[in-house]
Amino acid sequence: MDSILAEIYSTVLPAAPYVIAAYALIWLVLLAYVAVVISNLKKTEREMAALREELQRQQKD
Amino acid sequence: MCEEAVKDKKTTERDDKAVVEGAATALADRMLLPLLVAGALLASLGFVLAFTTAPLVVGAEADVPALIGGQMVTHKLLLSQKIFFFHVPVAVVSFIGLFVMALYGLRFLRQRDQIYDLKAMVAAEIALLFIVMTMLSGELWERFEWGVWWTWEPRLTTYLILMLLVIAYFILRAGIDDPERRAVFASAFGAIAFVDGLISLAVTRLIPAGAHPVVFRTDSGLPPAMLVPFILTLLGMLLVAFGLYRFRLRERRLHQQLDELKASYENQKGMH
Amino acid sequence: MTAPGERVDNSPGDLPTGSLGVLPNNLSNNPPAKPPAKPPAKPANNPPTKPSGFRQFCVLFNRDIKQELRTRQMLSSMGIYALLVLVVFGAAFAHTGPVATSGVAAVLPAGTPASPPTSPGISLISISGGLMWAMIVFTSLLGLARSFKAEKEADGWEGVLLVPLDRSLIFLAKACANLVFLLVVEAVTIPLFYVFFLSGLELAASFWLVAGPLLVGSAGIAGVGTLLATLTSGTRGTDVLLAILFVPVIFPLLYTVVAATTAALVGSPDMALDYARPMVLAAAYDLIMLPVCWLLYDFIVST
Repeated sequence: MDSILAEIYSTVLPAAPYVIAAYALIWLVLLAYVAVVISNLKKTEREMAALREELQRQQKD
Repeated sequence: MCEEAVKDKKTTERDDKAVVEGAATALADRMLLPLLVAGALLASLGFVLAFTTAPLVVGAEADVPALIGGQMVTHKLLLSQKIFFFHVPVAVVSFIGLFVMALYGLRFLRQRDQIYDLKAMVAAEIALLFIVMTMLSGELWERFEWGVWWTWEPRLTTYLILMLLVIAYFILRAGIDDPERRAVFASAFGAIAFVDGLISLAVTRLIPAGAHPVVFRTDSGLPPAMLVPFILTLLGMLLVAFGLYRFRLRERRLHQQLDELKASYENQKGMH
Repeated sequence: MTAPGERVDNSPGDLPTGSLGVLPNNLSNNPPAKPPAKPPAKPANNPPTKPSGFRQFCVLFNRDIKQELRTRQMLSSMGIYALLVLVVFGAAFAHTGPVATSGVAAVLPAGTPASPPTSPGISLISISGGLMWAMIVFTSLLGLARSFKAEKEADGWEGVLLVPLDRSLIFLAKACANLVFLLVVEAVTIPLFYVFFLSGLELAASFWLVAGPLLVGSAGIAGVGTLLATLTSGTRGTDVLLAILFVPVIFPLLYTVVAATTAALVGSPDMALDYARPMVLAAAYDLIMLPVCWLLYDFIVST
């Protein structure tokens, strides 16, 4: 690129990491939240299964 | 007794409403995955368009003008402004989340149904999520533009206060054990927080902070090429937020049911 | 349960009729032959009416004030706390004088004129508005937290709740009482602030305009603070919870009021922009938040 264009676009490359980081962080936060909710869900389901087992055992007695 | 007849009528009314609501809930939950995927796709589309079709915004003046693509360009072109395309939609969604939280809080105060309190809490979580996203992207934008990690400029300050308000909401909830009382107090504080957030938004923009001038490069109206990616991202983020909201709501309700079952199980065990 | 003002009427028409709609004769209070008798104790023309809202407000307000005047606990602790905050500020600004490279405040050679040796080297006037309000916010946090503690401990709170009145009046009375206390403390500590930090500095001619933001800001702090203090007094939290809730909520008011105070103290060429606009915004905050607090108070106290 000739020097004039180089100057006009001079802030683009240095800015790129920030823009990419902003985008990545946004999606990361969302995914982290989804992960937390899913892990909570799994725990709840496990506890429900355990409870159901207990109830069945009690009914058998 | 007359009172029983009245109570029965109210119960059947509530049952009808519950049936209708149940159908709506089931529909929303069935659409959960498609909603989330659609939202993500829309947001990504918006992102791509933001980079390809939206024109770069002008920054500091360049020393020598140049001819680019048939147009005279006299200023440096900024890439960092692109952050605007996901920073602002996320900010808007967070405000909507706050509004929903306050709304459900008020509904709880009027109707005293615990489900509204739960919905308010989940809305607050989503709002907090999006506030964090707003602050991260705003922080990076700020860092690049002005070279500092923090200034007391309107955007960042408002969002700091909003974040503190929502965190305070959760700390308040954690400090009360009785569910009824917790719901009432949280609803009251939620309403106050929302009104306060709005006022903060207005106040920080109407009174210049003095230290750093805020340059809102986009306040001169958005050209359509910029508007399209913005709207797309906004819609996409809205769908994602709604999807996450219902997902978390379903998980919380399951957890609540589990707790209730556990409690009745303990009761039964105690009785034997 | 009947409120004091209501009449108790025992005529058969008021008895619960149940699903039958009609009382069997042998179950009614009065034997069928007797005509319905009015209870003789009922006053003839004027059933006791509830005292008007204003009277109730006055009673509650006076009660709060008298209670404080008796012990003077809150006022004195607020005053002392404000003084301590000023002392901390003093330490914070003690070393703003000319500093040698070693970091220790330079010892001026014998013949130097200029400012008294221990005055701050920088002009504090631009931050004095903020400092003043910082002091007021911290002091009011303390005062608000204590105002409820004392009452709850004495169990006077339960008594107030038993009285059948509009609960929002309690809010009004408490908020006004807290406002009065805050203003009293300010009346003592602001001159102290002037003495400690502002004497010797050139204040703008408009410094008396500080009264405006002081009044508006104190009103907002008292109102919002009373609601939040009631909220937190019913929780497991400590005073920190009140601070966590209070500071973000009061921030917009603080922001505007500091801007107005600084404009008043420093003086500015464009007073309309620098003073009037923040004042309008602060007043808007009060006008919005105080009614919201008023409306919400009933729910909080009734739980």
